[in-house]
Amino acid sequence: MSELSATVMNLPRRDAQDKLRGRTKYTNDRVRPDMLHAVLLRSTVSAGRIRKLDLSAALRCPGVRAVATGADAPGLYGIGIADHPLLAIDTIRYHGEPIAVVAAETEKQARAALAAIVLEIEPLAPVSTMAEALQPAARLVHEGWRGYEVITEGGARAGNIAWEAKSSRGDVDAAFARPDIRIVESSFTVGRQSHVPFEPRVAIGSWEDGRAHIQTSTQVPWTVRNVTGRVMQLAPGRVRVTVPPVGGGFGLKFDASIEPITALLARMTGRTVVLENTRQEEMATCLCRENAEIRIRSAVTAEGYIAGREAVVLMDCGAYGGEQVFLTTMTAHTLGGNYRVGATRLVSRAVYTNTPPNGAFRACNGVYNTFALERHTDEICDALGFDPMEFRKKNVLGDGDLGATGQVFEADVLGPMLDRMETLRASTGTSEAKADSRLYGIATTVGTWFVFVGPSAATVNLNADGSATLVTSGVEIGSGTMVQSLPQIVAGQLGLAPDQVIVREADTDAAGLDVGVGGGRTTVSIGAASIAACAEVREKLLRTAGEMLQTRPEDLVLRDGRVEITGRPGSGMSIPAVVAHAQATTGPITGSGAFAARNTPAMSGCAMGHFIDALDIPVFVVHEAEVAVDPDTGHVEVLAYRVVQDVGRALNPRAILGQIQGGVVQGLGYALHEEVTLTADGRIAQDDFETYRLPLAQDVVPVAADLYEGAPSMGPLGTKGAGEVPILAVGAAIGCAVARAIGKPVRQLPLTPPRVLRLLHEREPPPEFPHVAPGWALNTLG
Amino acid sequence: MVVTFQLNGEDCSFHGDPMTPLVDILRRERFLTGTKAVCREGFCGACTVHVDDEAVPSCLKPIGLVQGCAVTTIEGLSSGNQALHPLQANLEAADAVQCGMCCPGIVMSLSAFVRDNPHASRPEIKAAMVGNICRCTGYERIVDAVADCLDQARKAGQSVGGLHV
Repeated sequence: MSELSATVMNLPRRDAQDKLRGRTKYTNDRVRPDMLHAVLLRSTVSAGRIRKLDLSAALRCPGVRAVATGADAPGLYGIGIADHPLLAIDTIRYHGEPIAVVAAETEKQARAALAAIVLEIEPLAPVSTMAEALQPAARLVHEGWRGYEVITEGGARAGNIAWEAKSSRGDVDAAFARPDIRIVESSFTVGRQSHVPFEPRVAIGSWEDGRAHIQTSTQVPWTVRNVTGRVMQLAPGRVRVTVPPVGGGFGLKFDASIEPITALLARMTGRTVVLENTRQEEMATCLCRENAEIRIRSAVTAEGYIAGREAVVLMDCGAYGGEQVFLTTMTAHTLGGNYRVGATRLVSRAVYTNTPPNGAFRACNGVYNTFALERHTDEICDALGFDPMEFRKKNVLGDGDLGATGQVFEADVLGPMLDRMETLRASTGTSEAKADSRLYGIATTVGTWFVFVGPSAATVNLNADGSATLVTSGVEIGSGTMVQSLPQIVAGQLGLAPDQVIVREADTDAAGLDVGVGGGRTTVSIGAASIAACAEVREKLLRTAGEMLQTRPEDLVLRDGRVEITGRPGSGMSIPAVVAHAQATTGPITGSGAFAARNTPAMSGCAMGHFIDALDIPVFVVHEAEVAVDPDTGHVEVLAYRVVQDVGRALNPRAILGQIQGGVVQGLGYALHEEVTLTADGRIAQDDFETYRLPLAQDVVPVAADLYEGAPSMGPLGTKGAGEVPILAVGAAIGCAVARAIGKPVRQLPLTPPRVLRLLHEREPPPEFPHVAPGWALNTLG
Repeated sequence: MVVTFQLNGEDCSFHGDPMTPLVDILRRERFLTGTKAVCREGFCGACTVHVDDEAVPSCLKPIGLVQGCAVTTIEGLSSGNQALHPLQANLEAADAVQCGMCCPGIVMSLSAFVRDNPHASRPEIKAAMVGNICRCTGYERIVDAVADCLDQARKAGQSVGGLHV
């Protein structure tokens, strides 16, 4: 395919020089002296009722231009369920919850006015953990949960269970009752992970011609537009969102949070208002990867056939449902992925607690479910005496196998990828010698993820200088899609060089709807919409050229900036000449394109409360880690790390390898030392870089990676998303490798040195979930 | 109080609280936003500048302490149409940039390092990066770029510091 050979390349990033010179203007670099500064009054208790909120003294403070509370923007927002106010209304549900906001000429004046707000809160006993929240007599975090607007139908809900998704396929009871099986049960618990994007959440709002304009550091301009409309009770079309380059997202910016506040204040003051989280606020109210508790049981025959499997997954959504409501869906595809299983039933519950709300984080839900599934798989192998690699080769999903919701997987992908890992290991060698006198472990694990497809739109304008302008709602968050894959795709379609493709940054007034940059979807979804737009451009271009050249359009090709007659290089005419002719005769050449999910079917009746019943584009990984554990200190050193990743088609292999290195290192942080804990008063204890231990250069190793191409994909040119998935199986690979090194079961992450020492000395209590009932069905709302 | 200093080669004065962090003067008064204020506690290195040729985090530098000093920010390292500093060029060539917010601080920290350590090994480069955090790239390509930069300078028989402002 010629367009493929014209598309695949290691295109460098066009934004690299400005970023290296410090010239790129992120949202928080755009603060001007004439802007108002907004600061938030946040709760210092985790549960309570607002008894008094008196703004009068604050309004009289010098420099103050506006003070707003929840009453000024009373609409509720959310994913699945609208349960979240912009600013607390009557009830406080988490430590750090915004209650009021002050806009003043300077930040100092705004902070002084904040101190003048009179706030009285009647504290309530907080519901601090999922175990507390699931007690029959637990106080409801949302007393009025029944009255909330349900945005997406289908999930079971009750009290502190914000959402429940179930999948059930086959007769699990019969599988567990078979005489020829052994039952293996494992429990796992994981903490939260903080994204720590270098640019915190920040927005600049103005009010222009009766409409809001928000510039913000977001992955989801259309969500910000729609949520702002909801909370301000405006038609969403009265909100415009534009997005400068984003200084890191990782999923944190996949939901609206503080952005609508700037629009509200801009409307109240007629001024442009900036609101930027301090680092402390950013970390204390981070929409973290959720803490979770997982119990999984499997019925396995002596031959190594997994006859039945059931699991209960509890996901802490914190004070508001947010992304976790959606993510309950993913358990069926992550914990329910990887392996061929006879009968299976899984329940996943998002549970309200009086803790800061959680959100989306790169390979959400998948990271810990893959850890749990892979450690459970090793526990099966230990219990039944199987070789872990042989067991995986025998049981990984292959062509025609059924997923947890009854989806039929196409092609053998994981099996050949395991073989490729062995080849990769043979080429790199192993690092056992580096362990020296420490305990050495190696583990190979697998993972199943997907591309979050969903709607995208694109417009391509072909210009008379031979350049093309691509207009989408895409955002450059660092992954490179806007500066590498998209210009490569458009250039390949139109016979241009990638530097002739101008890529417009997101502006909801200029481009059509988009679900946002996340879930590995940009290259696939915006790429597909862009190809559709290019098809219209090509058609117009070739029709015009055909008239000019007196040749049939189907005999023409686009190559190297020219319209040529097929098989006659150098014939025909330049694209600018054709564009100029079209502009003077039929009008400028533009094309528009759209893309939506295919909605691959599940088996009837298998998926309940799911936002996605089956995966349109599954993505698989094989990860292998080698570790050395110091038995005296509990320190885990990663000696080597190898990845085989299913990429469908690698449009820019060098960029993908960069995503793999970065994603694996984020995963190493999650597996080993990024720990979020909550204080007795419900506060996130790690709210700065001293207490939250991010990976440093000395912690990491170069990741050896092999890109597996050719697995089926509905993505354009056979692509799959490549930036999300590299973090997926890191907790799994490290957890399994450490367990093998120390000879003890690992059932919790992160594996900090104190935890590893406790495991070594058998002083780490295994996770126990008295709030998870022994029978699977008792953990469902029926 | 009045503080006078040189900023990217030009005389500059500041009137106000001498405890004001240098990063705030750079970003809020001089609009030199290439210097990033990320953690404001000296851990991340994103606000690194050169003060009298030494790489320092500008969040921990009270403006009163730069009296009489020469301050160079990322904007002053290769200004206008000047070629990239060799370290910047190597970072670009290594495809070491993602979100880019750590990049100016990395460049300022490690440009001083390569000037002073022409024979640094890979472990020494990693040790020198203890004060610079990158959340996107997983570091190895940054280390590659520093190693390449030193390699090129050695082959050319030059020190990378020769191009330092």
